[in-house]
Amino acid sequence: MDKLVGLLKGIFKDTDGESLGKNRLRVTAPRGSVLAVLDYLKASGFYQLKSISCVDWMDENEFELVYHVASMESPLHLMVKTRIARDNATFPTAIPIFKNAGIFEREIHELFGVEFEGNPDLAPLFLENWKEIPPFRKDFNMREYVKETYDSIPSFEEYQWQKEN
Amino acid sequence: MAERELELIFGPQHLGMVGNLSISLNVEGDTILSARVNPGYLHRGFEKLMEYRNWIQNFPLVCRINMIESEPVEMVYAMAVESLAGIEVPERAHYIRTMIQEMSRLSCHLTAAWAYTSILGFDTPAQWAMGDRDYLLDLFEELTGARVYHIYNMPGGVRRDLPEGFEDKLLAFLDAVAGRLPDYNSTFFENRLFFERASGIGKISAQDAVALGGTGQVLRGCGIKHDIRKLEPYAAYGDMDFEIPTREGGDAFSRVLVIRDEMVQSVSILKQCIEKMPSGKVYEKTPNPFKWKIPKGETYVRVESARGEFGLYLVSNGGNRPYRAHFKTPSFVHGLVILEKLLQGANIADVGNIMLSLYVIAPEIDR
Amino acid sequence: MTNNKTTTLKEAKGSILTPFKAIKYLFQKPHTLRYPFEAKEPSLRYRGFHLNDWEKCTGCGNCADICPNQAITMVKIEEIEAKPGRRNERPEIDYGRCCFCGLCVDICPPGSLRLSRDYIHIDHATNSFKYIARDEKTEAQSFVPADTYSVLNASLAHRKADYEGFVSDLNHCLFETERVHMPEVEAGERKLSFMEQVIGYNREEARKEAERCLECKLCEEACPAHMKISDYIDAIYEDKPDESMRKILEDNPLPSICGRICTRHCEKVCSVGIRGEALAIRWLKRYAADAVRDYKKAVEQAMPEPTGKKVAVIGAGPAGLSLAYFLRLRGHNITVYDALPAGGGTMLIGPPLYRLPREAIERDVSYIESLGVEFRFNTKVGEDVMFEDLLNEYDAVFIGIGTSKSRSTGIKNSDKCVLALDFLRQNKLGKGTKVSRRIIVIGGGNVAMDVARVALRQQNIQYPGEETEIKTVSLEDWDIMPASDDEIQEAKEEGVQFNPAWGPEEVVLDDEGNIKGLLCKKVKSVFDENGRFAPTFYEDQKMLLEGDMVIEAIGQAPDFSFIPEGLFKELKFTPRRKVDVDENGMTSIPKVFAGGDIVNTNLDAITAIADAKRAAQGIDNFLRKED
Repeated sequence: MDKLVGLLKGIFKDTDGESLGKNRLRVTAPRGSVLAVLDYLKASGFYQLKSISCVDWMDENEFELVYHVASMESPLHLMVKTRIARDNATFPTAIPIFKNAGIFEREIHELFGVEFEGNPDLAPLFLENWKEIPPFRKDFNMREYVKETYDSIPSFEEYQWQKEN
Repeated sequence: MAERELELIFGPQHLGMVGNLSISLNVEGDTILSARVNPGYLHRGFEKLMEYRNWIQNFPLVCRINMIESEPVEMVYAMAVESLAGIEVPERAHYIRTMIQEMSRLSCHLTAAWAYTSILGFDTPAQWAMGDRDYLLDLFEELTGARVYHIYNMPGGVRRDLPEGFEDKLLAFLDAVAGRLPDYNSTFFENRLFFERASGIGKISAQDAVALGGTGQVLRGCGIKHDIRKLEPYAAYGDMDFEIPTREGGDAFSRVLVIRDEMVQSVSILKQCIEKMPSGKVYEKTPNPFKWKIPKGETYVRVESARGEFGLYLVSNGGNRPYRAHFKTPSFVHGLVILEKLLQGANIADVGNIMLSLYVIAPEIDR
Repeated sequence: MTNNKTTTLKEAKGSILTPFKAIKYLFQKPHTLRYPFEAKEPSLRYRGFHLNDWEKCTGCGNCADICPNQAITMVKIEEIEAKPGRRNERPEIDYGRCCFCGLCVDICPPGSLRLSRDYIHIDHATNSFKYIARDEKTEAQSFVPADTYSVLNASLAHRKADYEGFVSDLNHCLFETERVHMPEVEAGERKLSFMEQVIGYNREEARKEAERCLECKLCEEACPAHMKISDYIDAIYEDKPDESMRKILEDNPLPSICGRICTRHCEKVCSVGIRGEALAIRWLKRYAADAVRDYKKAVEQAMPEPTGKKVAVIGAGPAGLSLAYFLRLRGHNITVYDALPAGGGTMLIGPPLYRLPREAIERDVSYIESLGVEFRFNTKVGEDVMFEDLLNEYDAVFIGIGTSKSRSTGIKNSDKCVLALDFLRQNKLGKGTKVSRRIIVIGGGNVAMDVARVALRQQNIQYPGEETEIKTVSLEDWDIMPASDDEIQEAKEEGVQFNPAWGPEEVVLDDEGNIKGLLCKKVKSVFDENGRFAPTFYEDQKMLLEGDMVIEAIGQAPDFSFIPEGLFKELKFTPRRKVDVDENGMTSIPKVFAGGDIVNTNLDAITAIADAKRAAQGIDNFLRKED
């Protein structure tokens, strides 16, 4: 693990690695070199992209993208992280490196509103006719939305009463 | 665009569809030119809801991410919380967790056997599978108090110890199910009709399976020995003696036979669990749920569910609720990426066949 | 992988007839249930509809708080009488929302809420999904007998009795039942000196203890002063002692004192304490006070505009000090008169040093002084300054004199005995009493325990290494002894001998007039059938306790001699010989208010503070109305 961190640090500037317990390595990279780091990791045996997570650090006005990559043979699981600006968030797609990256980017685009440049398919995945801000952002208040959307629907008793009268 | 090309919406109400999923197919004649999966019929925003509930209150929520097999979801969340908060689990709880994971795997595989056989028209083994699964649900009820959503794992262990006589009941069930395996084999797994129907269908190469993010049977059906239980043993899997069944074919036939062989392994693991079960505590008390705050940090925890790697990326900002939880569910990749690829060029009649051989469970995609 | 490759291409192709094996199952017993003739019995741990034992339920509302689906609301039940530690609210469950997770069961402190094994509900009314769970003990008609119970007539309201499923288990519940151990000086060591017995929590211990609080606030209702207990404990958990202190000082100006000797009405009703050990609320308060030390800096109390009104307070005990504090914070000028050389009143005399060190009292008093309250110590009203003058000079007068006179048993030769308060006063303010080797203490209350344990320490100091003994005699037997269990236990540990259910009859003297012993007779009963104090004895069973010093600790009385006779006649008393005050704390004499032990029957510091709080509001209203 330490060896890998040393290698990464040597090749990429401003990249740091930190162990998060057994078999977990967190690699932090600046925006510009993330894809290059991923490419390098893929070449060194981390063939599979497991998932891409997005975390909204609203107070710092940043999104954090976390690429989960792993190899097939070793139990090592890498989390390659980078921070991007929260306003008009854009990031280049990882499809050229990992074929399956597109679907995770589509999910993040829908739920957080990050624009992935070069991804041909960013159509909505789960939601239909969504008009609010992307719902997984921290400034989207789920409770308020539910109240506004569903409180206007009459209860069953009211509905019965309205029908009878 | 060919003249006779049609768009066919397959599901969620289609009879050949199992689960709340819809697939738009571009077909020409019987052949599918391209497919696009439309999830979202079950999207409940669990990951967002989790940010509004405290660490303990999330347990009744997370298990609903997968109604067929809720155990790995609970387990992965419990393990993530334990890892963030630095809680040690008693040895006996590890064994009980292993046991319930395997029971859950068995129950999920039986459900899959039901769904797969009934979609191919083998109604008799389908009913058997469902019937046998029900005995397993009885055991779950006995152990946890509920049949489907067990809410049995907690950070620090499991909620209650084994009830009296539980081991004997489980052993009786395991013997019964092992005794029925020849019947399953003769009616289904070794049936020539099944071979004709599944062999060569939904074929994927090992390289593609890895590159597209496949796990579980998708990899093992291509001959890749990949299993989190061996790769990174959690709970008591390190003490268990079992093998990872693989097949070389990469088609639906291989994947389903891997499922069958895994059931045999599960029965063996369950017997070992009962045999080696240590005595002692099953639960280490965690702090008061109303006040419990977990230090700032992040973790990625994974278990091998019946369908492949089930992971959770959990972030805490030092508060009494998760800051962000992101589930890596096997069906997300299998159902949205690999399924679309395998459907290209397939026959319409094989949509359900391919989908279920990939073990796609819709609520897991939507979350 | 060789062992499990049982199916090969060849095998599969060659077995076209094998599926017909399945036909054998046609002749076997079916696995499905024969509905409705045969109902399946749910498992013993089944999580079905709720049961709630209303007798045990305290209405704490933890179930409603933990419910992830907000399926539980607390509903006011008129027929239940609310009292401290028991609210008249019971959980109502909305089965449209409930997911049967059972977290409510695991968080229920009294274990009254359980899940039954019923899971079928059939009813015509759509609103019947909302249901107030209640047990068979109080609602027999709602339960059908086991033999006539069937799936078809099952509903929420017609269930089978004794059908418990998932029940609470203390080993797996979501709260911690065990208190964080409070370090104390061992009995063998502490009895040799007056060092403080309880060492106090450190930061980690206090936070860990505070973490146990379930925030149900039953304690706040039970506390006479209604302190914001849940808030200040949460502040301790958050590691903000300053914030905690601010919360405490809103309702109680004596945290150091109360943190040591409070009678803990709160801990008696603590939900966690129902089946486990109650939260150490008192020790947590003490931790906050000890951790902060300089209250003034921590609290940064803003002072209001001065009103120019003057109030005299007689007695610098808990009632007087608190009243001065509360009124000072309303902008009035306060002067406190006390005969003792320092503030604290009963706190200064009563609680022995090993319980309440002088330093703790001084800290509380000096904070109140720092707010601008004027103290006149060594000034006895009625002698050094006249009560009538106070009445003329000040806009209002508050009497918080407490009980300063010890009662005597009045038995033969009782004039040779020492009175409890005199003994304690000399030991705390003076140089200490010369004690003898064999001491008898009459009384079974906390003061008697204090006297016995102080005397024991004096013996150990004055006769080091020598054989000494302390005996107590009380009318009450073990089961009704008024002293707290802790005190009795600790006294026993230190070597105090008890003689319960013996009544003193005569102090026996030798020829030279020195005390030889105490003659006692066996007690038949202490109270009459109406619960009034009326002891009866077996006249034939007598015993002589040997000893050369007898201390009487059987009760105290107030000393009203400072009030001129004419005025005293106007002062009304209740049937229990307490000063009668109205809802503002005002006595029958205009502009004279009262509080503390002369008003309430609890006779403790926290009730005195509560009295002072009420009187402070009353005086403030009274003074502002005058304008």
